[in-house]
Amino acid sequence: MIPILKQSLEIFMKVIRLGSKIIQTLVRDRIYYPGKLMVDTFGMVARCGVLLLLYWYVFRLNNGMVNGTTFLIAAWSMFLYFAFSVLRLRGISKEIMRDIRSGTVEILLCKPISYLSYRMWWQVGTGLYSFLVISLVGVIALAFIVGIPETMSARIFIPTLVIVVLLGVLLSLFLYTAVGLLAFWIEDIDPVFWVVDKTVMILGGSYLPVALFPDLMYKFAVWSPFGASQFVTHTVYETWGVEWMMKVGIQVFWVVAFLVITLLLFAKARKKVSVNGG
Amino acid sequence: MIKELSFALYAIKKNIQSSAELRTSFLMNIVGMTINNTAFIIIWVFFVKSVGVIHGWTAADIIGLLGFSSLSYGVVHSIASGIGLTAEYVSSGSFDRFMVSPKNLLIRIATSRFSASAIGDIVFGLVCLGVYSFLIHISIVQIILMVFLVVVSTMVFLAALIAVMSASFLFTDAHAVTSSLFELFLTPTLFHGGSFQGATRFIFTFFIPSLIAGALPVEIVRDVSLEKLVIVSVVAIVWFLLSLKLFTAGVKKYESSNLMTFGN
Repeated sequence: MIPILKQSLEIFMKVIRLGSKIIQTLVRDRIYYPGKLMVDTFGMVARCGVLLLLYWYVFRLNNGMVNGTTFLIAAWSMFLYFAFSVLRLRGISKEIMRDIRSGTVEILLCKPISYLSYRMWWQVGTGLYSFLVISLVGVIALAFIVGIPETMSARIFIPTLVIVVLLGVLLSLFLYTAVGLLAFWIEDIDPVFWVVDKTVMILGGSYLPVALFPDLMYKFAVWSPFGASQFVTHTVYETWGVEWMMKVGIQVFWVVAFLVITLLLFAKARKKVSVNGG
Repeated sequence: MIKELSFALYAIKKNIQSSAELRTSFLMNIVGMTINNTAFIIIWVFFVKSVGVIHGWTAADIIGLLGFSSLSYGVVHSIASGIGLTAEYVSSGSFDRFMVSPKNLLIRIATSRFSASAIGDIVFGLVCLGVYSFLIHISIVQIILMVFLVVVSTMVFLAALIAVMSASFLFTDAHAVTSSLFELFLTPTLFHGGSFQGATRFIFTFFIPSLIAGALPVEIVRDVSLEKLVIVSVVAIVWFLLSLKLFTAGVKKYESSNLMTFGN
């Protein structure tokens, strides 16, 4: 029993070492080239900033309340969606497709590291620095401009926020990795990627906050993996205090389900490697 | 000029034939993009249901908005998709092969690539405009206006793309910068037009002409507003000429970073 535990611990430590090395390297790269941070910030302002401006106007027209939701809650919910998107986790699909199309996947599969693990760490490392900086600056800016809702001062807010962010990262990575792995069969995964990505965008509460969803759509957002990957947007709602345990449970279920799907797809894909380049 | 245009048509024809060779991928791209665009209709229709009619904008107008913006985006990205790759051409050195070509530089770059998914945008745009026409019980005058405004909207999209891509010559690796700049133009073209009022309407009409690509054409067709039509047309022409100036100025700044491959 002890040798098995020791072996598992070694494998785990190896994965962690690989991950920390990749993240360290990429974060240093991003710090060295601040232009990329500026571009991410600009992108955030272009999408989220304009949207918040429009919603502010729309809420003002409706006397500050739409569907029982205030602008303050809607603004934070949308901000959390866009801040999370700065991590660029969805990019993993395209990276996997590129590896497969170019033949790089053959080289990476021969290396003594797990290909999926390497790609996932790389993806997290790519957006981590921008995510941390933009989230921090965005939170301060938004707190000053629109204020902080009461729900964010609840004791459970920060611990549950950390949990749903981590689970959201895992679920997004597995979901988009599964899409990327389809490239072993259909090479051009763009159409599948668009459909999945837009479903995540709608059910995640990007342009339309979850609180404004009609009943059926809200249920679909809560119970589907697409909406579950963006539960971070639910954390500012008043119902969060009551619903957080159920939603964390849903996220855990989908994380496990997509982990199994991804591993099965990868096992099948390895047998199907078709190299077009080299 | 006619020689240049016939070359452009020939290049576009060859590009389409080349893309259509991979039939499954070609069709999947078209269908996928059409489904992808439907997402925006779902979002904004639910938005209208939640917040109600804002400044006369109904769910039908949202369909019209997406019709104009998707159709013009599709036309630009099918016939001039290569312009969107300018940043990559410049950073990789592939731009040299366009510089040494005896053809018009901009036309040569524009027709260097074809995007099959843009056909999906065109199909989606046409369907949306058809549905919009039916919903508003369109008149003959409105049909004429709609056709003219599709041209204006396409011109603005093309102008925005050229202007943004002119920044490729100013940065070492401009891909991320140009993407973000184009995003700044593109995002509001898909937004509910009624919520742009006052300062935001002014900014997104004259400084960043996003509303000309979708929201204002819908309002012009709906209200048959000739005053707005003149403003929109003038701004579109000014932006188009300005973008050509910016591109020419940018090309003058170009320094080859060729890796002795003359691109690929």
